[in-house]
Amino acid sequence: MSIQTAAWLVLACPLAGMLLVALGGRRWRGTSAGWLGTAAIAAAFAFAVVTLVKLQDLPADERHVASSLWDLANVAGVTIKLGIYVDPLSVFMALVVTGVSALIHLYSVGYMASDRGYVRFFAYLNLFVFSMLLLVLAGNLVLLIVGWAFVGAASYMLISFWYRRATATAAGIKAFVINVVGDIGLVLGSLFLIREMGVLDYGSLFAGVQDAFPKNDATLVAALCLILVGAFAKSAQVPLHTWLPDAMEGPTPVSALIHAATMVTAGVYLIGRMHPLFEWAPTAADIAAIVGALTLLIAGTIGLVVTDLKRIIAYSTMSQIGYMIMGVSAAAYVGGFFHLMTHAFFKALLFMAAGSLIAAMAGEQSIDRMRGFRKAMPFTFGCFIVGGLALAAFPLMSGFFSKDALLFEIGQRGGWYWGLYAAGYLGAILTVVYTWRMIYRAFWGEAVEQAEELEHGHLWHAPHPTNPATGEVEDTEVGFPGPEHHVAEQTWQMKLAMGALAVLSVLGGLLFLPFETLEPLKSFLDPTFEDSLVQHPANDTLEVLGIVATSVIAVAGMAFAYRIWALGEGRAGAWQRRLPALHRLFAAKWWFDELIGILVVRPAAWFGRWARDTFERLFVDGALVGGASGLVRAGSAAVRALQTGLLRSYAALLVLGLTIVLLYFLIRSA
Amino acid sequence: MLAAVKAPVIDWAGLSPLIALLGGAVLVLVLGLAGFRVVRTQWVPTLTLAAFGAAIGLLLWQWDSDLSLIEGTLRLDRLTILVTLIVCATAILATLLAWRDQAAREIAHGEFFCLLLTASAGMMVLVAAQDLLAAFVGLELLSMPLYVLCASRLRAARSLESGLKYLIVGSVGSATLLYGFALLYGASGTTSYAGIAKAIETGGLAGDPLVLTGAALAVVGLAFKASLAPFHQWTPDVYEGAPTPVTAFMSVATKIAAFGVIVRLFDVALAPAVDDWKPIWIAIAVISIVVGNVGALGQSSLKRLLAYSSIAQAGYILVGVVVFTDLGVQAVLLYIVVYLFANIAAFAVVTLRERETDLGDDIGALRGLGAKRPLMALSMTLAMLSLAGLPATAGFVGKLRLIEAAADGGLTWLGVMIVIGSMISLAYYLPVAAAMWREEAAATPEPGIDPRTGRPALAGGAPGAADAAAADGRGGWEVTLVAFVCGAASLVFGIVPQPLFDLVEQAARGLGLS
Repeated sequence: MSIQTAAWLVLACPLAGMLLVALGGRRWRGTSAGWLGTAAIAAAFAFAVVTLVKLQDLPADERHVASSLWDLANVAGVTIKLGIYVDPLSVFMALVVTGVSALIHLYSVGYMASDRGYVRFFAYLNLFVFSMLLLVLAGNLVLLIVGWAFVGAASYMLISFWYRRATATAAGIKAFVINVVGDIGLVLGSLFLIREMGVLDYGSLFAGVQDAFPKNDATLVAALCLILVGAFAKSAQVPLHTWLPDAMEGPTPVSALIHAATMVTAGVYLIGRMHPLFEWAPTAADIAAIVGALTLLIAGTIGLVVTDLKRIIAYSTMSQIGYMIMGVSAAAYVGGFFHLMTHAFFKALLFMAAGSLIAAMAGEQSIDRMRGFRKAMPFTFGCFIVGGLALAAFPLMSGFFSKDALLFEIGQRGGWYWGLYAAGYLGAILTVVYTWRMIYRAFWGEAVEQAEELEHGHLWHAPHPTNPATGEVEDTEVGFPGPEHHVAEQTWQMKLAMGALAVLSVLGGLLFLPFETLEPLKSFLDPTFEDSLVQHPANDTLEVLGIVATSVIAVAGMAFAYRIWALGEGRAGAWQRRLPALHRLFAAKWWFDELIGILVVRPAAWFGRWARDTFERLFVDGALVGGASGLVRAGSAAVRALQTGLLRSYAALLVLGLTIVLLYFLIRSA
Repeated sequence: MLAAVKAPVIDWAGLSPLIALLGGAVLVLVLGLAGFRVVRTQWVPTLTLAAFGAAIGLLLWQWDSDLSLIEGTLRLDRLTILVTLIVCATAILATLLAWRDQAAREIAHGEFFCLLLTASAGMMVLVAAQDLLAAFVGLELLSMPLYVLCASRLRAARSLESGLKYLIVGSVGSATLLYGFALLYGASGTTSYAGIAKAIETGGLAGDPLVLTGAALAVVGLAFKASLAPFHQWTPDVYEGAPTPVTAFMSVATKIAAFGVIVRLFDVALAPAVDDWKPIWIAIAVISIVVGNVGALGQSSLKRLLAYSSIAQAGYILVGVVVFTDLGVQAVLLYIVVYLFANIAAFAVVTLRERETDLGDDIGALRGLGAKRPLMALSMTLAMLSLAGLPATAGFVGKLRLIEAAADGGLTWLGVMIVIGSMISLAYYLPVAAAMWREEAAATPEPGIDPRTGRPALAGGAPGAADAAAADGRGGWEVTLVAFVCGAASLVFGIVPQPLFDLVEQAARGLGLS
C-alpha cells in the first residue's frame, strides 16, 4: 500500500462509518451501531499507523507527500484540488485524533448504551472524526476551510444532542455562532492570501511567501490576523472562548472528544501548519502568543472558583490550549505539539472519569454536592488521580515533560519571551490548585448520600430528573439522563478506555524526555519544522531550572490545595472573604459574557429588531418584494395575454419583431 | 459535354456520420414495412439506436480531425462533432422515451424513427455548413421531419394542431431566413461564410444597408428556430401539443443546432459587422430571459412550463454567443450539455407520469411521486434544481461559466440579468420539485370514469387515455433509466465539472476566436 492510499483510507474509514451508521438508522439493534462506529475509527487509526511507517521509510527531506484525487475546479487561473498533504505534522495529528477518538468511541459504546439517540450519536461522532481528519489532512486552503466548517457543524450537532434541553440547544447555537465568526475570519484571511499569492496548496504557499511579501509586511500580518480569528474561535481563546464552558451541555464523551482532545486543538494545528507564514510575519505570531498567555491566565483563575465539575475541566482545557497557542506562536513547535498530545490523553481521561462520577450523581454536576467518592468509585478515583497528576505536571507524569518542554523552548528565545515564560509558570500554579481543588472536593471528606448508596452496590436516583444547569424538571424522552443510566464505572468498555488513557497519561512523556538522545518526537517532527527561522540556543541552566520549578510548583500546589479543601470546611471561604474583589471577578468569569452582550449582542439585537419591524416591513416586504413580485406578475399576465393561441397573432408578432429588427439595422446603416 | 463537369472532391470518411444517419433512416423506413409486429415495434427502434450509435462512434473516431467536406461546403471540426454528438445523444434518449409511445404506434414506427434520424442529419448539416445554401438545406432537412413528428399523434387534436401551427409559423421563419441569405449573397456576391466575411472586411460593407438587412432577416429566422423571444410564440403551443418524446428532442437538439449555426454565421461570416449585430442579439437575449421566466410562472401544464423555461434557457445561452469570445463559445457548449441532462430528465419523468396517471402533463400528476418512487422524484428534483442553477448541480456550473464569460466580455450586466432570471425561475421550478414530495391528491372519481378500470369510459376523453403503454400501468423501464441517468448526470457534473470544462475547451479551440 502506498502512502497516499493509506492516507486516503484514513479519511475514508470514518466517512464510510458515518454513512453506514446513518443509513442503517433504526435497523441497528443493540449496541451494533456503536461497535461499527468504533471499528471505523479503529481502522482509521490502523491506516494512520501504516501511513506513519511508510512516511518514516522516506528520506527525511522527502517526508512531505501531496496527493490529489481530482481537480475540483480549474478556473480563473486558480486550481482547486481535492488534495491532501501528508507530512510528519499531519500524520502526528491524524494519529492523535484517531487514537483518542477510538478510545472515546469505545467509552461511548457503554456510556450511551441506554440513550434513545444511540445510532444518531455515533453517526454524528463519526462525522466529526471525518471532518477533523479532513481538517488536518487537507492539502490546500479550500479543503482546510471545508473541514474547518464541517467540524463546527458536527460540534453544533453534538452539543445540542439532547435537543429537548433548552440549555443544550442554546449552548449549541452559541458555539456555532462564535465558530462561524471564526470561519469568516479564516475565509477572509485565506482570500487575502489567494489574492496576493494566487496559490492555494500548502507547498506553494510556504515556498512562495518569502518572495511574495517583504518580512512582516502589513498585508501578510492582516491576513494572518484574520486567520488567527478562526484559530481563536475554534480553540476557545479570549475573547472568543465563551462557547466552550457552555458546550459542556453536550454528552460527556463529546466533551472528551471534541472539547478536550481534538477540535479545540485545531487552532494550534493551524498555527503550526502555517508556521512559515507566521515566522515571516512575527507581529501576527506575537499577537497569537500574547492572546495564548492571556487565555491561560484568565481561564486558570476562573477554574479556581467554578463549581460545575465539567466546567472546571473546560476552563482547564482553555488554559492548556492557551499554553499550546502561546508555544507554537513563539516557535516552540515540538513542545507545543507534545503538550497537545499529552493533553489529549489526560484531559480525555479526566472528562471520562467526570462522566462516570456525574452518572453516579444522577446527572448532578456541581462539586458543592459531591464529597467522599473515594471508596465508592475506586477506579474513577484512580483515573482522576492519574489525570490530575498529569495535568498538574507532577514529576515523571506525561504533562510534566510536555509543559516543561514547551516553556523551556519559549525561555530559550530570551528577550520579551521571558514574560511569556513567567506567565506559563504562573499558569502552572493555577493549574495545580484548581485541579486538586476539584479532586479533593469530590473524593475526600464524608461520603454524600449518592456515594453511600453506590458503596452498597446500587445507583442513586433523583426523585425527578432535572436539568443540572437550571434545576428544572426534565423531559427524559430525549434519552440520557433517563432512569436507566447504569453507567457509573459499571461497563467494561468505559473501564477499558479509561484504563488505556490512564496508561498513556503516565507513559506519554517517554516520547520526549529532556535529554538529547531520547527525543523521538522531536526527530519525527523535525522535517516539518526544519525550515523554521528561529534559533533555539542550548541552555542547560535553564533546563535544570525549569525541571526544578515545575516539580516544586506541582508538589507545593497540591499541598496548598490539600490544606484548603481537604482539611476541613471553611478555609476556602476565608480566602474568599480576604480577597472579595478578586473572587467576584473570577466568579463572574471576568464578565466576558456580559461584555460581549453589551458590545455585540445587544446592538445587533437592537438592529435586528429595527430591521424586522421597520426596514423589513416597509422597505423589503413592501417596496422590494411587493414591487418586484408585482412587476413579475404583471409581466406574466402580459405574456399570457399575448399567447392567444391564434396563429394570425403569432405571425403578426413575428412580423412586428422583424420590422423592429430591420428598422434598427437600417438606422445603423444610415 | 459531360467531361467538362468536374466532380466535387468528397471526403467520404468525414462524411461517414451523416451517411450513417441517412442510411439508417432508409433502413428503418424499409424495415418498418415488415409484416411482423415484433420487427416493427422492437427491431426498428433498436436499429435506430444502432444508427445513432454508429454515428457517435464515427464522430469520436474523427475527434481530432478538422476536415473540409464536399469542396468546402461542410466542415467537420470540433464544433460540428461536439454539437452532432449532443444531438445524437439527445436522439438516443428520445428514442428510448418514444420506444413504447403512442405516437410511434399511430404514425407507424418506421416513419417515426426515420423522421427522427433525418432531423438529426439535418442538424448535423446545419452546423457543419460553411455556406449559406448548405445551411438552408440543413435547416429544412431538420424542420420538415419535425413538423411531421409534432403531428404524429394522428388521433389527438392537440398534436395535429401543434404540427400545423409549427408548419405555418415555421415556414414564415424559414422564408425570412432565406430572404436574408439572398440579400447577403446579393451584397457580397458569394454564399460561403469565409467569402462573406472577406467581402465585408475588404469591400467596406460593414455599414451597407443590403448586408444589414440580410443580417436582420437572418437574425429573425434563426431566433425563431432557437425559440428566442419575441419570436417564441409557437413554442408553448407546439411543445404542449407534440408527443412528449418529440418535445424532449426538439427542446434540446433543435436549440443546439440553431445555436451552432448562430455561432458559425455571426461569429465567423458576419464577424466584421459585430458592432451592428451585437446590440440586437443582446436585446433578444434580455427579452428572452424576461419573457421566458415570467411566462412560465403559474403554468399548470408541465410541458408548457418547460417550453417557457426553454425560452429563458435559450436567452441565457445567447449571452454566451453575443460576448463573441472563445470563453463565450465554451460557456455556450458547456451550458448546452448541462441543459441536455436536466431537460431530458424532466421530460422523461413527464413521459412516465403521462403513462402512469390520467392527469397527463399536469403538475398534479407529480404529486405523491416522492413517496412511491423516490428515485424518479429525486431525478426530477435534481433536474429542476439544475435548470434553476442551484449549487452542487450541473446547472450552477453552467450558469457560472456563462456569467464568467459575460463579465470577461465586458457585459457584466447581462450576467446580472441571468441571475435575476434565475431568481424568478425559482418561483416555478421549486413548486414542481415540491409537488412530488407532497402527498398524492385524494382520488376524486370524476364523471365519465369507468369505475372498474379507472380510465375514462370514452376513448380520447382525457389526455393519455388511449395510451396503450398506460394500460398496463407501467411507464417502461427504459424511461426510468433515462430519467435516472440524466438526473444523476446533473448531480455528478455539478460536483465534478472538470471533464466538461476540458471537453468544451477542446471544442472551442478550432474556431479561432480571441
